[in-house]
Amino acid sequence: MIDVKFAAPSLPQDGALGLLMAEGEGLTGLAAKADEATGGAIARAIAAAEFTGKEGSSVTILAPGANFGRVVVAGLGKMADLTDRKLEEAGGALAVGLARAPAAAIAADALTPGRAALLGYGAVLRSYRFDVYRTKQKPEDLPKLASLSILTEHPETATGSYAPLQAAARGAYLARDLASEPANVLTPAEMARRLGTLTEHGLKVEVLGPEELGKLGFGAMLGVAQGSHNPPRMVILRWDGGKNGEAPLAFIGKGVTFDTGGISIKPAGGMEDMKWDMAGAAAVAGLMTTLALRRARVNAVGLVGLVENMPGGNAQRPGDVVKSHSGQTIEVLNTDAEGRLVLADVLWYAQAKFEPKLMVDLATLTGAIIVGLGHEHAGLFSNDDNLAGRLLEAGLASGEKLWRLPMGPEYDKQLKSDIADMKNITGRPGSSITAAQFLARFVNGKPWAHLDIAGTAWATKDLPTVPKGATAFGVRLLDRFVAASYEG
Amino acid sequence: MHLRLTDTPSAPRILPDAGLTEPEEHLPDLLRTPLDGAASATRAWRRYPAIALDVRDLSPDQAARFVAEAAQGAFRFDALRTRPEEEPHRLATLEVVSTDPAFRAQWPALEAEIEGADFARRLVVEPSNRLTPATFLAHLDPLRRAGVAIEAIGASALREQGFGGLLAVGGGSVHPPVLIVLRWAGRTAPVALVGKGITFDTGGVCVKPADRMWDMRADMAGAAACAGAMLALARRRSPCGAIAVLAVAENALGGGAYRPGDVIRSFAGRSVEVVDTDAEGRLVLMDALAFAARERPAAILDAATLTGAAVVALGHARAALFANDDALARAVAAAGEASGERLWRLPIGARHREDLESAIADLRHCVPGRGQPDACHAAAFLREFVGDVPWAHIDMAGTDLAVLPDGGTGGPTGFGVRLFDRVMRDRFEAAA
Repeated sequence: MIDVKFAAPSLPQDGALGLLMAEGEGLTGLAAKADEATGGAIARAIAAAEFTGKEGSSVTILAPGANFGRVVVAGLGKMADLTDRKLEEAGGALAVGLARAPAAAIAADALTPGRAALLGYGAVLRSYRFDVYRTKQKPEDLPKLASLSILTEHPETATGSYAPLQAAARGAYLARDLASEPANVLTPAEMARRLGTLTEHGLKVEVLGPEELGKLGFGAMLGVAQGSHNPPRMVILRWDGGKNGEAPLAFIGKGVTFDTGGISIKPAGGMEDMKWDMAGAAAVAGLMTTLALRRARVNAVGLVGLVENMPGGNAQRPGDVVKSHSGQTIEVLNTDAEGRLVLADVLWYAQAKFEPKLMVDLATLTGAIIVGLGHEHAGLFSNDDNLAGRLLEAGLASGEKLWRLPMGPEYDKQLKSDIADMKNITGRPGSSITAAQFLARFVNGKPWAHLDIAGTAWATKDLPTVPKGATAFGVRLLDRFVAASYEG
Repeated sequence: MHLRLTDTPSAPRILPDAGLTEPEEHLPDLLRTPLDGAASATRAWRRYPAIALDVRDLSPDQAARFVAEAAQGAFRFDALRTRPEEEPHRLATLEVVSTDPAFRAQWPALEAEIEGADFARRLVVEPSNRLTPATFLAHLDPLRRAGVAIEAIGASALREQGFGGLLAVGGGSVHPPVLIVLRWAGRTAPVALVGKGITFDTGGVCVKPADRMWDMRADMAGAAACAGAMLALARRRSPCGAIAVLAVAENALGGGAYRPGDVIRSFAGRSVEVVDTDAEGRLVLMDALAFAARERPAAILDAATLTGAAVVALGHARAALFANDDALARAVAAAGEASGERLWRLPIGARHREDLESAIADLRHCVPGRGQPDACHAAAFLREFVGDVPWAHIDMAGTDLAVLPDGGTGGPTGFGVRLFDRVMRDRFEAAA
């Protein structure tokens, strides 16, 4: 992770420099001084590139003079419309432009210290890489940027503002690492082992293996797990930063470390994406890490159900009936609708064990959510309008956007089974909604929200603060949600 | 269907009961049914020539929904049978039992809406060898008699005026396309209704699979909803001006069919790259929407059986709603709840619009590959053709036909007629 520091605004004498420009305004403050030092070369380059300061645009100028190797100017859009999110995106754009320099400075003298910190946050989020398995990378192909100095009038205040943002970035990095790992490495046991190391940040970690889960009667989750040689785990992460004895917030993640579909096997094309079918669990781990790192004044518990869904001699069959931890029976008509089976048991357990204030689950649950919404919004389902409203707000503020979809008895009734309490699939019409209805049957009156992140957990192209690959969707959203509503 | 408002029932009674989930039949004269069970109740009792709907315990909106759904269940299309069925359908009269003055005040509007919905259902159920772009106009006679002005822009005029989308889609069929314009003069700037009227959709060169292709005779249900809503407006002498633009074509396979990769020029003058000829609805709508926008309407509402993606997203219980105007979207969604023709808004995101960039034209009309958010893409595409007119788009691909308990499709619902009439009443007539 890039080391971000804040320093007083004096013009650097050399190196790489990042500048900001609002639309319709010229270079001001330090940026104007830098332009002056280069004899107007920066302004000339901006004019030649027809750069106007539009948001999402940037221009890179090589060796403009005054010993600067590289100057990158990022557009902010109209100053009157500037939001925190746009500053994060500008930070991301500067990080890309400055990546070839080992160290760089960004002139943020026109911004409040809190907003200056957002530039560093965006830069760090955008600079993530997963290079664990590259053995032949040439040094010249690697980004060099290791330290970033953000120039602001009040460096100490900015440093204070940056601390919780860095915590969220570290949480996001963890979630991206986990989702990026291949499934032969990241088995349920290995993921549980890695989550066990989070005690170093002050989290309490409990790991339950197949025997304990069997004793608890996790029949739905164990049915999914039984085809694989890699046995399941449930990991419970606790952060007790709030009042002693106060009911926690519960976050539940789907953690299918690889999803072949089981006996209802998936087509080969695109199956490699199923290594990140544990992105919900990864986001819960990232969120809990963030809360611990920033010493959040809240009690929270994260629960992840980790299984591998494999075909095999002992695999669950279509038509099997399993008994869930709640006691309700489920006819498994399609073994590829496994996420909801895992969540059913973990959701029920979370309520019975922790009596949480509310529950939010994250799951790469349905392909239908991609057909419904695409990749810009995750699906939001909830039994509580107030909770849904606050999640929608946190989504807009964090840039991890949600779109609410309907629920109701007309959808629930489609789950009727001929021989059990319910079946685990319906027809394709409305199938993200009926998946949510299935989960709702394992919610025992608590305020609950379900985020279907199948369309947002992985980016197929670079985004302003997310490089192509695992997005860690949910970490920043829920960190924002917790901070805005539960730490007052 | 004959409707009669009364305060005492004189026929076997259907009684809605909020507490029930399954109907309870007490032969021969009482059937208690769940609130949402009116259509199956009238279907079950079609042997009676008259049925009384006892809505005395319901609120006015609930009662209207119940009666409208009962009328849907009682809909029957026997024109093509040449000999009687073993269990004949005798149901011809629905008595509606109510003493509530508020409901009675709404009665004329409800009667007009049910007439409009029945009209739409008759259009939708017509097989595509009978209802072609050429014969569509003849089916609109009831509208003319009700005082709606009808204009048809035929193929040669469409060519002169540059309706490239409608002409491309209709090019594969021996029945050339037509743009039908219905006008109801009112005291206000008109509200424009725009309907997709594909009389049959083979998919064109990108032909559909054979299974369930027969349902594609209903691919003009959006146009039928607009026509039905115009009939309701005219019947109740709405003070509000309205114009309906029906884009009518057959998407057939043939030597004159348009191809994937073609670039066509829309009525609005923009070039559009064709990706999949089975995404034809948005191409006829782009021309109809641009035509409607030129009339400077107060708002545009369009209805179309547009995308399978809308069905995947929302199932059959709600149609998808898209809009470029939040206030209009809220009003349309509220009318959906009130009328029982329910909607759910879906987003048009920046990414959806970006996905429509074409390498050689102003935009492409859909995005290749499976699993695309095609309803959102279609809405992002259509939005390009309405200019700055407040606009709402109803993707009703999942609600045009009734869904049977076995998952198959049943008769036409008439979806959209009561929705649009309710929007007119609640949002636009107050201002007229």
